[in-house]
Amino acid sequence: MIGLYRPLRCLTPKATPARRLRPRTAASFYSTSTSASTSATELHPSRQKWSQPPSTATVTDAEIANLSNKHQHSLSLADLVRHGRPPLSTEALYSSANFTLSLLPIRLAHRIQALRNLPFIVVSNPNISKIYNNYLHSLSTLLPWKHRTISNIEAEIQFTSVLAELVQTHQDTIPILAKGFLECRRYISPGEVTRFLDEHLRARIGTRLIAEQHIALHYSSVPHFDPSASPTPCPEHPSYIGVIDTALCPADVVNSCANWVAEICEYKYGERPEWIVDGEPETAFAYVPMHLEYILTELLKNAFRATIENRHKKEPIVITIAPEPPDAGPPKVKLDPPAENLGAFRSEAIKPLDDNAPGVTIRIRDRGGGIAPEVLPNVWSYSFTTFSEDDMPGGGSGADALSVISNTGGGGSSIAGLGYGLPLSRAYAEYFGGGIGVQSLYGWGTDVYLRLKGVGKIE
Amino acid sequence: MSPSAVQHATKTIRLTSAWRSPARSLSIATARSRSDSRSLAPFPRRSIQTATKWRPVQVLDEWVAKEARPISLRQLMVFGRSLTEQRLISSANYVRTELPTRIAHRIRDMQRLPYVVVTNPHISDVYDLYYNAFDMFRRVKEIKTLEENERFCQEIARMLRAHLSVIPKLAMGILECSGLMEQRELDRFMNTILRSRISRRVIAEQHLALTETFNSPWFSPGAKLSEGEFIGEVFLKCIARDVIERCGTAVQALARSANGPDVQIPEIRITGHMEASFPYILSHLEYIIGELLRNSVQAVIEHHARSKKNQGRPPPPIEVTLCEAQQHVIIRVSDQGGGIPRDILPYLWSFSKGPKSAQRLENLTQVPLMAATLQELRVDGNFSGLQDGKAGPTPPSYAHARAHDGSLTSLSTRPPHLRLGMGLPLSRVYAEYWAGSLELHSLEGYGVDAFLQISKLGNKNEQLATRATMDSL
Repeated sequence: MIGLYRPLRCLTPKATPARRLRPRTAASFYSTSTSASTSATELHPSRQKWSQPPSTATVTDAEIANLSNKHQHSLSLADLVRHGRPPLSTEALYSSANFTLSLLPIRLAHRIQALRNLPFIVVSNPNISKIYNNYLHSLSTLLPWKHRTISNIEAEIQFTSVLAELVQTHQDTIPILAKGFLECRRYISPGEVTRFLDEHLRARIGTRLIAEQHIALHYSSVPHFDPSASPTPCPEHPSYIGVIDTALCPADVVNSCANWVAEICEYKYGERPEWIVDGEPETAFAYVPMHLEYILTELLKNAFRATIENRHKKEPIVITIAPEPPDAGPPKVKLDPPAENLGAFRSEAIKPLDDNAPGVTIRIRDRGGGIAPEVLPNVWSYSFTTFSEDDMPGGGSGADALSVISNTGGGGSSIAGLGYGLPLSRAYAEYFGGGIGVQSLYGWGTDVYLRLKGVGKIE
Repeated sequence: MSPSAVQHATKTIRLTSAWRSPARSLSIATARSRSDSRSLAPFPRRSIQTATKWRPVQVLDEWVAKEARPISLRQLMVFGRSLTEQRLISSANYVRTELPTRIAHRIRDMQRLPYVVVTNPHISDVYDLYYNAFDMFRRVKEIKTLEENERFCQEIARMLRAHLSVIPKLAMGILECSGLMEQRELDRFMNTILRSRISRRVIAEQHLALTETFNSPWFSPGAKLSEGEFIGEVFLKCIARDVIERCGTAVQALARSANGPDVQIPEIRITGHMEASFPYILSHLEYIIGELLRNSVQAVIEHHARSKKNQGRPPPPIEVTLCEAQQHVIIRVSDQGGGIPRDILPYLWSFSKGPKSAQRLENLTQVPLMAATLQELRVDGNFSGLQDGKAGPTPPSYAHARAHDGSLTSLSTRPPHLRLGMGLPLSRVYAEYWAGSLELHSLEGYGVDAFLQISKLGNKNEQLATRATMDSL
């Protein structure tokens, strides 16, 4: 995950009493002849010599081919909530675990296949190679589970810790890939990079979502109820189902993200742009808060920066929240009430959500002067960047002031300033059937349309 | 074939008015089996005398082989600015060869469409009109004198009048054929043919206007024209704000008289770069702005009436923002009319619409009447059209304005309830014709933002279908 949600809990999985499977380190899997050691502690792979990718000794080509031939399931929000409302019963927890297990190896195999099809010189780059090996490693930890059905507590705990390790391993995939592609820009065209990353990052969103959802459900389930121990956000709140907030109020997220971005602006530029939220601010719908926070932060960063840099009058940024008319039909998802009264998950605290908007459109309108016509075609490209080779992320010198500061804001992503904000936001929005549209009025301002699809009616 | 034989052949396949009443369910087995539940009206009796449609193709081939020579607004202006007899004759000869060339390309397009589509009565009518026009213009000899030019201009005027109903006919034909061809193909065909039609009318009307100017008593060659005037049809300085205000007032008046005195009409507010201006063909601009404002006003009225919590409050205004940059002017029309319903959204830019096709077809049958008689069916008789001289600037050729603006004016002044479903796609054809663009963003449940981008410099060539475009000058 991009980590802009400022998690306060530590990210390594906590050991549950006497039941922890310690993951084998990556080094023991690969032949020692390669210099591309894929230990997780290696900090500057770019200093190493470029090398051959290591052998796939523990995951055979046949396995990968077999899995990648299978159809990759397109995840919907309804999939994630189908196991029930927290706290899940033991049976429901097993069902969630087995569902997750059925999807993950296939997804990982598809990613490995896609990486293998990149040019040889690109995958030889130490950064790209590291990511490739991460995927191989993760698949190898899941393969022993492939033919088992999880039906007892120990197995489920083991499985969940495997998932936690997977989430942790792939935490920084994006900055590392970004560095890698930047180093390889002579050998691969921007179009190819964009095509690969579009597909890869979208798949990554789904994979992480499945894994994190199960982890969150695990920690808010009846046998293991301990939301504070979860490595992924698992709020103890009746409207949450795992990582999904069924009563997410976008206006609140807008205001909190805007406040955060405005503080950075005030610190760095001495100015604090103003904003207005209009439309229907009381709107609520079902969505993943982490995703929405990321997208809104990126879009608001753009709007705020443009407003500050505009020499003329500083007009407030207008954010309009437009809910889709409620679904008139029957509820899309029916959930039984929680199995037991635990914490905030009490039977009578759960309210039916039948007036939830199925989707929401958020329009961000600024007076920042617009996007120049020659820049406009490039805003969706992953490799479009004003970074030069010397200004590596976190280095600071030519980097965008806003991004540098936001990097230091607790677990911040170092990809900011590389021009990944817009395409990545779009990947998140489109994941559940939404999208982002950008309309520039050069000389006046920019309108950005963020369309989000939620789950719809849940009962 | 001699011309008289062609005429006779044309007459024998002219379909009688019997097909206009859908109650008569005449059909031929082959046509019915292909279209049955998908077409919107029972197919009338088809012509079986198709042999007469096989006209000598060699002549057409010769003209199809020629390339159209596109022109830009700036060229039109510069050409007309210093008008002499020699230039007028040269303009006449340009038109003389361009018209048949461009028509020939479109006739060839139509000939390549599926047989079942071209034998649809509406499409078939248009085909005949085009072919006759082609036949007529290709025989015109080189023009050398002003008298020959006069005769030529009369021919042009006659053709322009005869072709006034082409747009509604094509639209009806496309709707009826929506089950017979892929939607994308149909839309592409319609866009191409409409674009070409605009191009022919632009050069034809421009030449008529120049002739009129040349012949008018006040004209002397080399006279300097001030900016607030026309060169032919081209208005040198469309001030965006004025055009929007005029169109806005007209649309509001139409809405008021159509919806009754009790209904509140939304205000239209203009902000931004108020001095933005550019050269353009005024009737095109008025059509596009008119369509956008009509849509917005109608949507706001209906949405406001439906939502209960808005009772007693005035409807939210429509905000028009003008943005002027070095090379473009962008006009944004922002309304709170509830957005575009999900089921219509995929068909927004299509001429072969989805769910509302049957109703559109019904409405279109009323438009040919309006196009033919310009004064007819104005809402209350007192409503003044956009270019009849009572409001706003007029090109000097008043008489010709009536004839050749008729097709757009009548479409623009139809009552608001008559939904034709072509406003947006046709506006986009006009916008893109001079290398501009029209985009729409809908916030479902809230409203719509429309973005019209216009090139300010007038040096972009017409976007014709057959050529790659390059800037001139």
